[in-house]
Amino acid sequence: MRNVIEASALKLAYPRHEPVIKSATFEVRTGEFVFVTGASGSGKSTLLKSMYGSMPLSGGELQVGGIDMDSISGSKLYKLRRHIGIIFQDYKLIREWSVEKNVMLPLIIAGFPKDVCRAQAQKLLTHVKLSHKSDKYPPELSGGEQQRVAMARALAHNPFLILADEPTGNLDDYSSQVVWNLLERANEELETTILVVTHHIPEMFSAHYRHLMIENGVVYEIH
Amino acid sequence: MRSIRHHLSLILPLFAILFCIEYLMVFDRITESHEKSLKESYSIILVADRSAKLSDISHRDTLIERVEKIDAENVLRRIKADMNPESAEKIRSIMPLFFSIKLKRYADGERIERLRSELISIPGVRDVHIFEKVHDRLYAMLLFMKISFTVFSVLIGAISLLLLVKQMTIWQFEHRERMQIMSLFGAPVWLRSGVLFRLAVVDALLALLFVVSALLYLVNDPGVVKLLDAVGATPERLFRFDDITVLAGVSFAIAVFSAGWVVLRFKEEQ
Ligand SMILES: Nc1ncnc2c1ncn2[C@@H]1O[C@H](COP(=O)(O)OP(=O)(O)OP(=O)(O)O)[C@@H](O)[C@H]1O
Ligand SMILES: [Mg+2]
Repeated sequence: MRNVIEASALKLAYPRHEPVIKSATFEVRTGEFVFVTGASGSGKSTLLKSMYGSMPLSGGELQVGGIDMDSISGSKLYKLRRHIGIIFQDYKLIREWSVEKNVMLPLIIAGFPKDVCRAQAQKLLTHVKLSHKSDKYPPELSGGEQQRVAMARALAHNPFLILADEPTGNLDDYSSQVVWNLLERANEELETTILVVTHHIPEMFSAHYRHLMIENGVVYEIH
Repeated sequence: MRSIRHHLSLILPLFAILFCIEYLMVFDRITESHEKSLKESYSIILVADRSAKLSDISHRDTLIERVEKIDAENVLRRIKADMNPESAEKIRSIMPLFFSIKLKRYADGERIERLRSELISIPGVRDVHIFEKVHDRLYAMLLFMKISFTVFSVLIGAISLLLLVKQMTIWQFEHRERMQIMSLFGAPVWLRSGVLFRLAVVDALLALLFVVSALLYLVNDPGVVKLLDAVGATPERLFRFDDITVLAGVSFAIAVFSAGWVVLRFKEEQ
C-alpha cells in the first residue's frame, strides 16, 4: 500500500512564534481512517493546514499524495488541492453562493459541465439531509447545517484524501451519525483515505481506526 | 440596492474620466481650427536677391513651416508687352525674388520681430514685409482656456482615479473571502477572479454607455448646437463615432487594470 501522507521530523511554526508542532513522524497509507486528537490549541488544525499547503514547513519533511510539500509550487499545489476534500473547522462556505453552488465548487473547479455538477450536488445534499435547503444561502443556515454543507462539498469530487477538522463539532447525535456514516462509506466503497480531527472518537470505529495524538508539539501514535 | 451603489461607485469615476477625455478631445478639435485660421492670418513676404537660397531661408528659424517662391512671371509678362525684349530681359535679371513664408504655429508680436531680424540677416535678403492682423489677445485667451481646461480635467481625472482605487480596496475586501476559499479548493487564478473581471467589464460598459448617451443628447440639443455654431464649430466637432473607440479603450483599460490590481494583491492567508 502506498503512503498517502508521510511526515518525518515535521516542524511547524507561525512566523515570530514558538513552533506549534515540534516533531511529527508518521505515515498514513491509502484507505486508512485516522483520528487525530489533542487538547485545544495543541496544533491539530495547524497540522491539517500543512497537508493542504497552507502552512509552510519550518523543518523536516512532508509528502502528500507523493508530492513534497516543502518545494511545492503554485500550480502544482492547486492541482493537488483539487483532489483533496477539506472540511474546515470554520466551514468556509462562500456566503454569496447558494448551498447548492457551494457543494458544486470542487466540481466547477474540476471543469465538469453545469448539469453534472448540479446533479452530483443534489445527490450529496440528499445524503447530508439538506436537499430542501439547496437554494438557501449559508448565513441562513444553522451552524450544524453549514457543517453538513461543508461535508457534502468535501465529498463532491470523490477526493483521494479527506481532511476533516472536527466535522461533528456542532452536530447532535443523529447528525453526527450521518456524518460518520458518510465518511465510513467513502472510506469503504471508494478507498478514500480519511484524516479526522475530533475530540470524541465514535464507538462504531473501535475496530479498525488509527489514532494520532498531539501533545506538547509532538505527534504520538496511539494505534 | 447595495449592489447598485457598488456599481455606481465604480461607474461614476469612470464616467467622469471618460467625460474629461471626450471634453479634451473636443476642445482640441475646436481650438485646432481656430489656431489654424490665426496662423494663416500672418502673411510674410520676403524680398531677396537672385543669389539667396531657398534652403537657407527655410532652415533659418524653427517657426517656419515652408517657404514658397512667388511666381513673378505674370507681372513681368504684363510689363513686357509695353517694352522692347532687351529691356524686359534686363529687368528680369535685376528683379528680386519674392518668397512667401508659412508659419508652423501662431506666434506673438515679439516672436515675429525676432523672426524678422533673423530673416533680414540672411545674406541676399533685402527686405521682409510682415502684414499682420493682430490676434494676440484672442490667441492668449484661447491658450488660457486650453491650459485651464486641461489642468481642470487632469484634476478631475486624478480625483476619479483615487475614488476608483478606494473602490477597488473595498472590492478586494469583499472578494477576498471567496477568492480565499476557491484557492483552498485549487481554483486557478482565472476562475477565482472571473467574477471580479466580469464586474469590472460590465461597469466599464455601463460607464461608456452613459457617456455616449450624454454626448448624443448634447449633440442633438438645439441650445448646444446654437452655442457651437457661435464658436464656429459643427456638432461633428463635438462628437465623432471614432471617439467611442478611444473612450471604450480607456474605459476597459481602467476597469481591467483595477480588477487586475485586486487580483495581484490577493495573497492566501495562513
Ligand atoms: N495564524 C496564526 N498565527 C499565529 N499563531 C496561530 C495562528 N493560528 C493558530 N495559532 C496558534 O497555534 C496554536 C495551535 O493552533 P491550532 O488552531 O492548530 O489548534 P487546534 O489544535 O486546532 O485547536 P482547537 O481544538 O481549538 O481547534 C495555538 O496556540 C494558536 O494560538
Ligand atoms: Mg482547530
